[in-house]
Amino acid sequence: MDSRYIRNFSIIAHIDHGKSTLADRLLEVTGTVESRKFSSQSQLLDSMALEQEKGVTIKASAVQMHWKAADGMTYELNLIDTPGHVDFAYEVSRALAACEGAVLVVDATQGVEAQTLANLYLALENDLEIVPVINKIDLATADVPRVTHEVAELLGMPQEDVIAVSAKEGTNVEAILQAVVDHVPPPSGADEAAPLRALIFDSHYDSYKGVIAYVRLQEGRVTRDTPLLMMATDAKTEPVEVGVFTPDMQPVEQLCAGEVGYIATGLKTVREAHVGDTVTEARRPASEPLPGYRAVKPMVFASLYPSEADDYANLRDALEKLQLNDASLTYIPETSQALQFGFRCGFLGLFHMDIVQERLEREYNQDLVVTAPSVAYQVVLTNGEEIEIHRPADLPDPSTIQEVREPWMKVQVITPTEYLGAVMEIFRRKRANLLMTETLDNLRVLLTFETPLAEMVIDLHDRLKSATRGYASMDYAFDSYRPDDLVKVDVLVNKDSVDALAIIVHRDMAYDKGSLLIRKMKEAIPRQLFEVPIQAVVGGKVIARVNVQALRKDVLAKCYGGDITRKRKLLEKQKAGKKRMKQLGNVIIPQEAFLAMLRLDED
Amino acid sequence: MDVALYIHVPFCLRRCTYCDFNTYAGLLDLRLAYIAALERELSLLAARHGRLRITTVYCGGGTPSLLGEAVADVLRTVQAQFTLADAAEITLEANPGTVDATLLGAWRAAGVNRLSLGVQSACANELALLGRIHTWKEVVEAVTLARRAGFDNLSLDLMFGLPGQTLAHWEHTLAQVLALAPEHLSLYALTLEEGTTLAAQVAAGVAPLPDPDLAADMYEAASDILCAAGFWQYEISNWARGLSMPLTIWSLPPGGQTESIGPWASRHNLAYWRNQSWLGVGAGAHSSWGGRRWHNLLHPDAYIHLLERGEWPVAEEEHIPPALVQGETMMLGLRLAEGVTAADFRERFGAELAEVYAPIIARLMEAGLLEWDGGRARLSVRGRLLGNQVFATFLPE
Repeated sequence: MDSRYIRNFSIIAHIDHGKSTLADRLLEVTGTVESRKFSSQSQLLDSMALEQEKGVTIKASAVQMHWKAADGMTYELNLIDTPGHVDFAYEVSRALAACEGAVLVVDATQGVEAQTLANLYLALENDLEIVPVINKIDLATADVPRVTHEVAELLGMPQEDVIAVSAKEGTNVEAILQAVVDHVPPPSGADEAAPLRALIFDSHYDSYKGVIAYVRLQEGRVTRDTPLLMMATDAKTEPVEVGVFTPDMQPVEQLCAGEVGYIATGLKTVREAHVGDTVTEARRPASEPLPGYRAVKPMVFASLYPSEADDYANLRDALEKLQLNDASLTYIPETSQALQFGFRCGFLGLFHMDIVQERLEREYNQDLVVTAPSVAYQVVLTNGEEIEIHRPADLPDPSTIQEVREPWMKVQVITPTEYLGAVMEIFRRKRANLLMTETLDNLRVLLTFETPLAEMVIDLHDRLKSATRGYASMDYAFDSYRPDDLVKVDVLVNKDSVDALAIIVHRDMAYDKGSLLIRKMKEAIPRQLFEVPIQAVVGGKVIARVNVQALRKDVLAKCYGGDITRKRKLLEKQKAGKKRMKQLGNVIIPQEAFLAMLRLDED
Repeated sequence: MDVALYIHVPFCLRRCTYCDFNTYAGLLDLRLAYIAALERELSLLAARHGRLRITTVYCGGGTPSLLGEAVADVLRTVQAQFTLADAAEITLEANPGTVDATLLGAWRAAGVNRLSLGVQSACANELALLGRIHTWKEVVEAVTLARRAGFDNLSLDLMFGLPGQTLAHWEHTLAQVLALAPEHLSLYALTLEEGTTLAAQVAAGVAPLPDPDLAADMYEAASDILCAAGFWQYEISNWARGLSMPLTIWSLPPGGQTESIGPWASRHNLAYWRNQSWLGVGAGAHSSWGGRRWHNLLHPDAYIHLLERGEWPVAEEEHIPPALVQGETMMLGLRLAEGVTAADFRERFGAELAEVYAPIIARLMEAGLLEWDGGRARLSVRGRLLGNQVFATFLPE
């Protein structure tokens, strides 16, 4: 294909602004997919059930379309879908790096939101040509003039360039394709003779063909006979197949510079074909990889334990399978005296954690105990050594610590002005600094905060949503590791320290959080046959204590001939309930108690 | 073969707010048909089991006193179909709002020798909360009339741990009840059963949620007061006047067996707690016989219907495997102050209690819930209040 007739583009949008519906419509008007196929499956690009349910795209996808433009020429249009959530910012940036243009979709009933901006900035960083689109103009609540003005203002474009569409009804969507052809440049520097350089912007695992790498070829060509080298991981492989998505996988003879498609690598794990890596020829490697590769490091950690200890092996298998398709999920076996055998898992963010947990529960039928999430801390020891810890319990003795650093995030919030006070209050309690306030229009403001990730992982998003009745939107990105006066609060249940309950907090908050935590624990722990003291301890000093009073009365008043079976079943049920709890020394703790930390901000 | 016989009478004038037994208000019209069905069921039992020797009869409900003088007819059928032991204990449950001198005299004449009155409280507000149909004054009258009719074995039921009930209210009720000089007392802690009016009221916040610690205080207060009044606690919820004074609360009966306290412990209920055989007749009545337990159809209509056709009215039957029989024997026997002796266990199961339950006994003793002297296992004073924790451990996994 002559690269002059190729256009590679993405659709970017805030969640729920109609990105997937628009993608479906584009596939339909280009005849890539027959319209009746849409009836059974609402959105084709979101192939996982969970994605459809959550209304977000988790894995990027890439579809080749052919469309006859106004000049009478048929163009190859490669639509590269991007994940819709900020936890996958790196994947989004790689998908955008594979494009020359981006269709920016804004909901005509909502206007510009936090992720609209975040995605737009990413697109601009990648020098993409922006095609602005206002969607949902069919809705009664659409305010086309206002939102058109807002988008034109944001992009510094004339209002006439903003295309107003209804993806749902198919109104005006061909205008988008024409704008893509007109404004998005064809791939440049597409030298087919040069050694192969292809950017991996996504991947999935196929049990027959191994890892399928989604690639954009910058230079060179690839056929199924080209031995390949992954430049970052050094993995070598003979491809099984090359092809394009239409949207099903369709093998082709070759992929050339400028094109988008897939290489079925035959590799066994997605870790050997990282997103962002450059694929080159093994026999004639490129001298330099494409820029922008980085190994994605998990920032949020939580432990997953099977509810029943017997299910440990099942959980391990499930994680293994999940990791086949999710290179950013990490897990290592972990033992806890309270929860026994499980895994410490690393996630890109909270949303990623939710998705993994839900998939384990739903697709793999795992019954899980998930501990409160924590972040990766950098600890500088007095001997100069620097370590990273992923569990609060692993924070070494304070006397050996020179400095503890925690990740800080930059957070952008767009909120209607009426909720400004509520938003500021939420962030004030999260140790946040307000960096900037910008007025977007007379109704909404854009607030830029910086706040420790540890403060965000608990419930920031939920609180923000509920305090603003769902009107605020948020986006965040890692900023830097910063030292602070951080201490570990240990929780002692009946004098024994419980590793899974330790938290790391700012020293100024140690007392408040520690006493709140043990009060929540007290509510969650049933009364036992003896009094159970629960203590919060910092550096060997008890800072707060509560007691779970001894159980005084637990006996069936009546037990006569009529109800022996029934009473026995009651006792058996009681006994079975107890078995599901975790035994810690003499104390029996229900699984909910391990989540007490998640409710620390409720009061 | 000796056996205890239970007769269920499911009729009530009104359902009490806490009640989740197999009882029905508004079905009194079925009374005659029901009595006929009871008589049929008794004949079926006699035909199947032969002429059993009945040592105790317990007519419970519901409100058996609503059968009126027909109680005598039912007892006559029992006598006709079985051999009633000479000293058989024959108990009738009665609501104090449903008795008069004539009825009491008729029952006594028919052979009823133990009357169990549902009193529940001496406080008007509590009686109202519980939905009782009688007043405290009617309780006093019923007791007076019963004594006059010749009842010398009188049991009164009380409830504690009620929504809004204070320790002072409870002590008042106990004092009032002791003044009536009963032979026997049953003290039941309220359990809010799902589906009852009272549970719904508590859930809706109309009635306050009872505090379990206060209920424990009430129980302990009652233990002290009744001990001082000469009552022996022979089961978790039951006290009987003794021939001698108990030395302390929850004393081991002087001869090691409940019977040695005196003649007023409920012999019928002892059969349950000792996990002996019994037969039950009537709607929803349970039976336990030869390693099997079954119960009848719950609804009086269905029960009557089947018996009219001459069929067994059994709804469900359960086989109790030997390991479970042992566990249930512990669950039931440990409710008694006499506990379970190694000798009885050996005689019944051919096994050593100490061996079968060695780790459990050690653990419970360490927790201070069980006493074990090598020959007898019984709940400790504290264990009485935590019986479920003990019983559950004896049930097989």
